[in-house]
Amino acid sequence: MDFATIMQYVGWPLIKIVILLIPVFTVVAYMVWFERRLLAFFQSRLGPNRVGPLGLIQPIADGLKLFLKEDLVPLNSRPFLFKIAPIFAFFPAFVGFAIVSWALPWVTPSGKVHPFVVADVDLGILFVLAISSLSIFGIILAGWSSGSKYPLFGSLRSASQMLAYEVPLTLSVVAVVLLAGSFRLSDIVAAQQKMGWYYLFPGILAFGVYLVSAVAETNRVPFDLPEGESEIIGFHTEYSGMRFAWYFVGEYANVTLISVLGTTLFLGGYDIPFVNDATLYAAHPWLASILGVGVFAAKAALFAVFFIWIRATWPRYRYDQLLKIGWVVLLPIALANLVVVALLKLWLLR
Amino acid sequence: MTAEQQAEKVSPLREIMETREVELNLGPQHPATHGVYRALVKLDGERVLGMESIIGYLHRGIEKWAEYRNWTQATPIFDRLDYVGAVLNCHGYVGAVEKLLGVEVPKKAQYIRVVLDELQRIASHLVWLGTHGLDIGAQSVLFYAIREREAIMDLFEAMLGQRLLPNAYPIGGVRFDFPKGWVEVCRRLLDVLPQRIDEYEGLLTGNRIWRQRTIGVGVISAKDAIALSLSGPTLRGSGVNFDVRKAIPYSSYEDFDFEIPLGQNGDVFDRYLCRVREMRQSLRIIRQALDGMPEGELRGKVSKIIRPPAGEAYFTIEAAKGQLGFYIVSDGGDKPYRVHVKSPSFVNLQGIETMCKGNLIADVVAVIGSLDIVLGEVDR
Repeated sequence: MDFATIMQYVGWPLIKIVILLIPVFTVVAYMVWFERRLLAFFQSRLGPNRVGPLGLIQPIADGLKLFLKEDLVPLNSRPFLFKIAPIFAFFPAFVGFAIVSWALPWVTPSGKVHPFVVADVDLGILFVLAISSLSIFGIILAGWSSGSKYPLFGSLRSASQMLAYEVPLTLSVVAVVLLAGSFRLSDIVAAQQKMGWYYLFPGILAFGVYLVSAVAETNRVPFDLPEGESEIIGFHTEYSGMRFAWYFVGEYANVTLISVLGTTLFLGGYDIPFVNDATLYAAHPWLASILGVGVFAAKAALFAVFFIWIRATWPRYRYDQLLKIGWVVLLPIALANLVVVALLKLWLLR
Repeated sequence: MTAEQQAEKVSPLREIMETREVELNLGPQHPATHGVYRALVKLDGERVLGMESIIGYLHRGIEKWAEYRNWTQATPIFDRLDYVGAVLNCHGYVGAVEKLLGVEVPKKAQYIRVVLDELQRIASHLVWLGTHGLDIGAQSVLFYAIREREAIMDLFEAMLGQRLLPNAYPIGGVRFDFPKGWVEVCRRLLDVLPQRIDEYEGLLTGNRIWRQRTIGVGVISAKDAIALSLSGPTLRGSGVNFDVRKAIPYSSYEDFDFEIPLGQNGDVFDRYLCRVREMRQSLRIIRQALDGMPEGELRGKVSKIIRPPAGEAYFTIEAAKGQLGFYIVSDGGDKPYRVHVKSPSFVNLQGIETMCKGNLIADVVAVIGSLDIVLGEVDR
């Protein structure tokens, strides 16, 4: 093997991963800060504003604090499972970012194409769904291995919740895949650009189902039962220090991922609204790419704001009500929507 | 279907699969138990089969403590019973001593007491509303409610010099008239509060999730509620019209025109509505008391050292949590021979088993919230 092959299959992907992970980590860390600040404003408080300007150093301080905490393993836990469980919660959320296409690919003058994505898998969205269902192991193992009742209840709740909501979530994604005719995220964006409409409009029902299931999948209010603070303290009751931090970071990474995916699927991803991207790109490729990433981030931030807004407003559902909504309300809607979208595709949007 | 039947039919699987009940310790260090309340809950899955209250983690011997102080010195101790409704506790004790002494409290002092009592009732209900909302997951209400309570605390500080446990009334009347400008600030608060209560109701009363979480949950029938001698909004939520302010008027409550909000079904939602409406009625009472404030003395004729005649007295008021009773015995000395407190939180807590049986574990939290217990008062 020569150097060029190694670079092509190992070197460049690694560099891309690092380039991607640094901003993703930062975004995830600042998600926490953003949520706390915004939530505080909703609740007529100020939120963290002491550490650094506007409290911007807060996430670093929090991380450092958790890092320096004692790593506690309860006596009657199963230490091996207890220790590996957080990894399952942590890594699937980050792996998902690999297939997200962040902007239009760069074409160098020599004709080489540099896509703005770590791995442009042609089954991209299926890959994310498959990987993200792994994260439930993190929760179940945590509950089972903690040797305590509260985590067990929390993890059982989570297992049934994720089962109940993964189905409608997948079905709503399938509707988009039907419309676009591809699983590849860059193709989905391209299809939306070609149609001139974001899939938000033909797929408005799918979008609704996606939003509700996304909130449920990320265990947030009003579906935050697995960690329902006031009843079952949560599957991570027994965790402390950095192991707890993995869950925490994983959760926010999930929120970020689901916002990013929602943006790609329903809001046209990096497409700049009211501008013909192709002409802009032909004139100023750099500008178009940077603008594309910026627009992408702004759209994804809308999702995040929406999640936080819900958290500030609504109470929490009860376990049985939550399952009922998943199976009895969302699933039929998603199925019916799938039929509607298929017919649309057949007659109108060919 | 009764709660027992409901609990019976929970799990059809039980006939073919061997299942086991789980005993879960809820508390004493648990975010939803409002202090150090501990419940031993028997669970079938998430369904509650039975529960046992275990109390005593905040026992401070308040009743005994009072026996080592003279009658005046004992007053501030009772502020510490229900520490979110301190003024009302003080009124209960002071009223009992006045009854034993046979002191007539001047009309003006009675009206001032009514104003402070009702402010305290609103403050207590605000704390309840916030924490109850938080238990069910609506966290913003807590901050809004605490914001308004802060204004009431400021009023207490301006008048009584303390916010939480102000030792509000001396035996025989009140210490001070309203300070200069106090009434205007209070009236401004009265104008603002109805809109703020509308705001809370906008967040909760009409909210689908809130209704689903509370309607039909933690039901207690009027008959059971009376049998368990519940009182306050917990009783009135079941539709029983009993309020000490109307039934056995004290401190000139008969002068005021107000309604007693009643529930119908005795579920968490009805108890919630009762309390929220009670806040509006309290505002009405305060307004009337401020408008009709009579002139006159602030304190009745009480000697410096209080020695009630040997004997006993029982005096009861409507505290924020329910009927608060003080039974005092005097041997003619300068110290109480015995003070017994009938605390509403303690009595209301008895209803929790009836309310929770057959419901889910998440409902236990909603029910605890709807009972509005303060552990300082339960354990004394």
